[in-house]
Formats: sequence, C-alpha cells, structure tokens
Amino acid sequence: MAPLEDELRSALRRRDPSPDFTERVLARVAAAPARRARQPWVRWVAAMAATLLLAAGGLEYRHYQGERAKDQVLLAVRIAGSKLNKAQKKVQMLTHRSNS
Amino acid sequence: MKAAGLLIASLLFAGAAPAQQVKWNFDKVAAKASDTVDVSLSGSLLQFATKFLSDSDKDEAKVKKLVGGLKGIYVKSFEFKKPGEYSAADVESFRAPLRPPDWQRIVGVHSSEDGENVEVYIESDSNGIGGLAIIATEPKELTLVNIVGAIDLDSLSELGGQFGIPEGLEVDKKK
Amino acid sequence: MPRRPPATACGWDFASLVRQHQAMVFSIAWHLLRDRAVAEELAQDVFLSLHQHQAELESPEHVQFWLRRVTTNRALDVARRRLRRPMVSLENAPEPVAVTSTGDPLLGTALRKLVAALPEKARAIVVLRYQEDLDPAEIARVLGIPVGTVKSQLQRALALLREKLSRVVGQASGLSPGKE
Repeated sequence: MAPLEDELRSALRRRDPSPDFTERVLARVAAAPARRARQPWVRWVAAMAATLLLAAGGLEYRHYQGERAKDQVLLAVRIAGSKLNKAQKKVQMLTHRSNS
Repeated sequence: MKAAGLLIASLLFAGAAPAQQVKWNFDKVAAKASDTVDVSLSGSLLQFATKFLSDSDKDEAKVKKLVGGLKGIYVKSFEFKKPGEYSAADVESFRAPLRPPDWQRIVGVHSSEDGENVEVYIESDSNGIGGLAIIATEPKELTLVNIVGAIDLDSLSELGGQFGIPEGLEVDKKK
Repeated sequence: MPRRPPATACGWDFASLVRQHQAMVFSIAWHLLRDRAVAEELAQDVFLSLHQHQAELESPEHVQFWLRRVTTNRALDVARRRLRRPMVSLENAPEPVAVTSTGDPLLGTALRKLVAALPEKARAIVVLRYQEDLDPAEIARVLGIPVGTVKSQLQRALALLREKLSRVVGQASGLSPGKE
C-alpha cells in the first residue's frame, strides 16, 4: 500500500474544467470593460463570440444562482428545524414527566 | 407541539398589521464571532430558490411545500472560540423586538446536557401565524431565526429532526 | 531568449495562458471548495483578473505564482464566507464509506472528503503540497504566511488524515507514515 503522501498526490491530482472553459473565459474577457486599446477588428470578433457564448452562459449562470439559493433555503430550514425539534422534544419530555 | 398549536389558535389577532422581518442588530455579536452562517432570503429570491427544489427528492419536496408561501427566511448563526464571548445583554437585545402584542413566546426550554436554551416566538396576524422567531443559545453558539409568513411548525420541526445530520448541527462524537 | 512568449499587443498569448493553466486553477478551487460550479466560476474570475493584470507579470513563473496565490486566496475567501453545510471539526467528521485495500478510487474519494473537512488554511496547504507539489517555502510564499506555520499545519493535517483514514480502511490497509 502506498504511503499516505502518494495517495494524497493521486487523490488531489489536477482535473480539467469543462471542455468549453477557455471559450467562456475569453467571452467574459471580451465582455468586460476594456482596460487597454485593442485592434477594432479584435473587439468586433470578440463581441460576436461573446454574444453567442453569453446567451448560453447567462442561462447556465441563472441555473447556478438558483442552485445556490436552493442550498441556502435547505440550510436555513435545517437550522430552524433542528432548533424547533430540540424544543419540541424537550416539551414532550417534560409533558411526559408531569403526566406520569 | 400540539399544545403549542392550540395556543397559537387562541392568539389570533384580527386586523393585525402584516408580518415583517424582525429588525435585529447583529453588529456587536458579529464582531465577537469567529464564524458566521448567514442566510437572507426575501420574497422573490425565496420564490426563485423554491423553483430549484426537486419534487422527486423526499426532503426537498417537503421543504418546497413548507416554504412555498413564505415572504422571507433569515438565519444568523454565530460561533465563538470560547464560552462567554457573548453576553446576556446581547441575547436580551434580540428578545427586545419580540414582545406582545405582536409577538408571543410559545416555548422556552433549557437543556442542562449541552447548556442549550431554545426560545420560540410567533407573530400572529389576521390569517394566523404571520411569523416565527427562534433564539437558540449555546455556550459557543448563538443562532437567530426569523421566518416571515405562515409556517407549519410541526412540518418544520419534523424536517429538523430527520434532515441531513439529525437533530442539530453536531455529529455524534461517539464512534 | 525573450522573457515573454510571442503574443498580442498586451505581451501575452492570453488564450494559451488559459489553456496552459486552467487545470491548475480549476483544481485548486475545486479541491478547496468541493463544488464544481463554484470552482469553475471562481476559476473564470481568476483568469479575468489575470487578463486585467497581465502587464504587471514578468515571466511564466510569475504568472504561475500569481495564479496559485490569487486562486487560493479567493477560494479561501469563498470557503469562509459562503453558505456552508453545518461545519463539524475533522475529529467529528462523518466517516466516509469503508473501503477495501484494493479500492483506490474509493480511497481517493475518501481522502478528498477528509481533506475538504480540514480547516481552510490547512486544506490549502495540503492542496498546494500534494496537488501542486510545492515545498513548504513555496507554499509559505503563495499564502503569505511563515514557513514554520506551513510545516506545523502540514504535520498536524497529515496526522489527522492518517488517523481518520486508518479508521476507514482498517488495520489491513498497511498505510505507512511516509516522509513529509
């Protein structure tokens, strides 16, 4: 069996992001405010690519926002529910004691 | 919680103002906390989030039903490095907005096992429960929950008992 | 030999930089955050920042250092501020499913989960050490902390991981301490 360090290197090896990652980065770069002067044709090509990619990316980002908001709801319900459950159980226990 | 349900029914106020988010000031406590969980979901964001809850997942479907008509969910949970970092005065400041006639404390319990206190308050409006507030204190944790809207306490409690890590935030230390 | 590769007017072939480093940036974010969507979003943000700051970067080595530092710091910020599952300390972390000694993929999954349960700074140190193969001095430069802190946190993290993993794998695993 390999030492722990070898197992860690294997477990933590680099992984690739999604296949269109580079294109999405370039699209965001093209859409961001320009900090330096560029060749006009470069900006035009980048803007066209950005328009196409952002349309798809926008939907994906909205889905990502929705999943994050969903996680928040689940976390909030878990926290609130656990506190309420604790109180309920204590009340039930005290009620049981006073009735017995 | 059945007894609490009867109490709730008896506390309906006809014509009461619509429930709103409790105005708590967290600055003092937040400054002392080593870690904070913060959920703030109001109106449209909450409804947006609900769309992503799955009907085929048992727990998510229950949560979807539970939060469907709510106007807001707000949770702040502060963790502290050691006991005594927040004061009784801090806790009292959170109780201050939860007074009659708008709010009623329906449950207050203390657990000597882990030193946790839980206080549950409800706000009544013309339609019944208009809001829920929970103040839960432990030696190294302070949690405040405010739910705006009609919430089913039994369903929420049931979810808290079986959801993910059961009955609270800590995994059983005995292994 | 020129210090910068042939490129656009800005001095760098930005698309090549992205392709060259995207796995590194994404993986640092993913191993620290354990959320693929957030890691991708963060990685994109890092490259966007790189594009905005590329004129300040002097060499390929500088680019790599800059990317590691910015990615790690941002991921740690996100880990601290993001909404999280209820935190449990590593000592109390739920045990991953028990694996057999031949189950390397499962062992890898178990290890990744245990690493993800480490406190943020220790997690970053372990990721930079074993994903990026950086030595403690390099890790200290990336994180901006003393080398002594890196070494002690690394030792403690490994000890915890060994203990936790040995409970999962069991006596028959034969995992040996190894050198750090």
